[in-house]
Amino acid sequence: MATTTVLTTESPDRWKYLNNILTRRGPYSDETFEPGDEPKRFLADLKILVIGAGGLGCEILKNLALSGFRDIHVIDMDTIDISNLNRQFLFREADVGKSKAEVAAAFVMKRVRGVKITPFNCAIQDKDDEYYKQFKIVVCGLDSVEARRWINATLVNLVGEETLIPLIDGGTEGFKGQARVILPTISCCYECTLDMLTPRVAVPLCTLASIPRQPAHCIEWASVIQWPKEKGDLKIDMDDPEHVTWLYTKALARAKEFNIPGVTYAMTQGVIKNIIPAIASTNAIVAASCCNEALKIATTASPYLDNYMMYTGDESVYTFTFQHDKKEDCPVCGNLPQALTVDPESKLEQLMEKLQERPETTLKKPSLRTSSKSLYLQAPEQLEERTRPNLEKKLKELMEEGDELSISDPGMPFNLRFIISFSS
Amino acid sequence: MSVPGAPTAKEKKYDRQLRLWGAGGQEALETAHILLINATAAGSETLKNLVLPGIGRFTIIDHAVVTDEDLGTNFFLDDSSIGLSRAQKTCELLCELNPEVQGHFINDTIENILRSNPEKLKDFTTVVATGDIPTATLLSLDAILYPLGIPLFVVKCVGFTMSCRLALSEHPIVETHPASTVDLRLFNPFPELSTLVDEKAASMDDKEKMTTHEHDHLPYVLILLQALNEWKSTHGNQPPSSYPQKNEFKSLLRSKMWNADEENFEEAIAAVLPHFNPPSIPSETRAIFQDEKCANLTKESTKFWIIARAIKEFSEKNGGLLPLPGALPDMKAESKDYIRLQNIYKTKARADLAVVFGIVRGLLTGLGRDGGEVEESEVETFCKHAGYVKLIRGRSLNEEYEKSPRAQVISNDLSDSTSLIHYYLGLRAYEAFISDENNTQRIAPGAEDSTVDADTEKLNKHVTELLDKLSITHSPELLEGTEKAIGEIVRAGGGELHNIASLTGGVAAQEIIKIITRQYIPMDNTVLFDGISSRTFVYKL
Repeated sequence: MATTTVLTTESPDRWKYLNNILTRRGPYSDETFEPGDEPKRFLADLKILVIGAGGLGCEILKNLALSGFRDIHVIDMDTIDISNLNRQFLFREADVGKSKAEVAAAFVMKRVRGVKITPFNCAIQDKDDEYYKQFKIVVCGLDSVEARRWINATLVNLVGEETLIPLIDGGTEGFKGQARVILPTISCCYECTLDMLTPRVAVPLCTLASIPRQPAHCIEWASVIQWPKEKGDLKIDMDDPEHVTWLYTKALARAKEFNIPGVTYAMTQGVIKNIIPAIASTNAIVAASCCNEALKIATTASPYLDNYMMYTGDESVYTFTFQHDKKEDCPVCGNLPQALTVDPESKLEQLMEKLQERPETTLKKPSLRTSSKSLYLQAPEQLEERTRPNLEKKLKELMEEGDELSISDPGMPFNLRFIISFSS
Repeated sequence: MSVPGAPTAKEKKYDRQLRLWGAGGQEALETAHILLINATAAGSETLKNLVLPGIGRFTIIDHAVVTDEDLGTNFFLDDSSIGLSRAQKTCELLCELNPEVQGHFINDTIENILRSNPEKLKDFTTVVATGDIPTATLLSLDAILYPLGIPLFVVKCVGFTMSCRLALSEHPIVETHPASTVDLRLFNPFPELSTLVDEKAASMDDKEKMTTHEHDHLPYVLILLQALNEWKSTHGNQPPSSYPQKNEFKSLLRSKMWNADEENFEEAIAAVLPHFNPPSIPSETRAIFQDEKCANLTKESTKFWIIARAIKEFSEKNGGLLPLPGALPDMKAESKDYIRLQNIYKTKARADLAVVFGIVRGLLTGLGRDGGEVEESEVETFCKHAGYVKLIRGRSLNEEYEKSPRAQVISNDLSDSTSLIHYYLGLRAYEAFISDENNTQRIAPGAEDSTVDADTEKLNKHVTELLDKLSITHSPELLEGTEKAIGEIVRAGGGELHNIASLTGGVAAQEIIKIITRQYIPMDNTVLFDGISSRTFVYKL
């Protein structure tokens, strides 16, 4: 691999402005910063990973390439959709259906000479520890909580004598967004701040089934109750227009029956896909902030963010920059079990429903164990069958106060641990 | 596929943004024409964020020729652009982003345009000025644009620092997108609402007359109104007002539960604090009512002022109440009861709207204008947002620089060495440096390693001159933060860092979108960002 400074292989003027920052000390520069060729070499040789090649990812790839990073990997399992084009500026209409990672990488390499971007059209879970270990920094532009938790836990697990990979994470919603720097085990991690997410308010099933009041209730009825009833095991494909149309038509009929106004096709999509509004400008702000931190961390040219910046643009411009505390009992970076109070009279099934309401236990297919027995296992099939009757049992029959409850989930590279106490 | 209601191709492409600003906002964007002065990285990134969501047209005025340095910061240039017109090349690469957007370029300086064809500026919806533009040019632009009501953004992006100054004259916003517009009228229920309470909730304490199912499906609004009737009968006809009284009222509600898990009663208890407020007109709305433009309508009055005046007259005749917005939050209830309650609020809102619309037509004809000039839908939007409207009166650059500088805003922050006001002063000094008549080439401070020290001195001197001019007392201690800001600015040697330019383009584009769509609330009037501490601050200068 080339260890010479690639920054000077083009016209020396190309990186003049970036070099000004790298060859001159600033009033806020850290004492350890040594202006000159050293930071330039660092940048050129450092391997950086970008997770996500969507709204944030496109911006991040462009920004890193124009910040002097030369060896970039990008992972994204998605393909390009028409609704991406209002912000994912590396894609054109002719690219619809192609791999986001591949198209984005090719575009930036073509535009910015000298940068090497290696795309992977796969899930982050497909890569192992050895793969992640090769990077000095990971920048995330994801829209999924699950994927963020996974990469966060993976990078925390990798911390060792020689490995500490900073995770820079961005997220947006409408005119708002946030950028943060996570130094695994040193500063607060993604899992430490899960309670900042707004809890998902689930509409009770009985409302959907018998007393709908809102257009969203009709749409959820169509997808949660009516689809399985009429379509059996066929899974809903949110991106299949026929499926969406089916749900829309059903929801509309139900709304009519109950005189509920307001069901539209766009709303149907919004509810079933949980669509979050997204625009180019907010992505630009958040991605730029993330990459600014990556540049500062990689070169030590200026102090980096410690550790969280929130940007709000819908009412004037407001940022809140603060240090989020580490959580002592963080299940990922603290590894102490948390307290969990349960009603001994409630059933295991109800406990599992309750867990779904808490952001840190919103899981896809959780399996529950105490130290002495398996309470409910999702797989393999025969164990699922054997533990299924437990769902109907009361908690007091299954556990005692002080027991440690352990929850695992295929989407999570660690177990959640709880110490049980009974509510009186 | 021809499902009624299915999205068009355009709706699919713009789906994620239509959920923010709707068809009305989109239409405003599609008819806008943005002028960018100088295709810097920050300027090009601003346009990128406007071309993508489908702005109508843009024009770039720039006389520069693309250099290698441009390629290190500007993504909308490539190797083949070197030596060619920067206006043309960025225009071409930006146009690739969205075939629906028209891009134009003028290979000239803004100074030449101002001299030869200042009328040209009238074509634009919004003007964005970036790069090294001397003060005199900025003030000339401002002198033309501000009286025309064309917003001017002055964007500066040097190293880790950026500032974005918006010169915006009068800018009313109706669709401010508040978190909620719910007004339940609990303290002054209208007759239809009271009738429903009597019918549905009068016997909510009577187990003989109401089943358990009916009881735990009573909409919480009716529970609150019924309990309020009871409370008022023992409290001199007054609702609970103090915090202890509201807590007492919550206990009263709790005592009316038939069993511990009646969700609707829990909802009622939770609604006491947010919804038990005496009706009042919010200060922003009141200021609009009291505005001279509201009092004295003329033939030229905009629709905003005519509708505002109509709503003011409406509220005066309605005991100080604004028109009812008509929204009802979800609550535990039987479908038909909820829909009925919802319709009662909606019907009342429509009745209020009809009255306001009548006043609007009367005002228009009274002014000798066409009574049909304002559409009912416009009045409806205003009525729904009457308690949330906002009027921004910005300040021109000429006011900030010459006529009425806000020295106090600067001096207030000077002693705080972490304040971003130091970057404002540093960037003003930068502007003075490139505006210096001896600096005809507009060479930036710190352009060469050898000039760093001398240029730093010059910027410090520009700051003290500015402070003296503004009669702000200063001392080396007070200017500690400014000196550091200047250190960072000179370090960059007049160059943009791509990340900061990209962030700047994001911030500027958000503000431009808010102004063009007349939705959400733009900043007023200068936002500074420091990429070292990752903070912003907005000053009204």
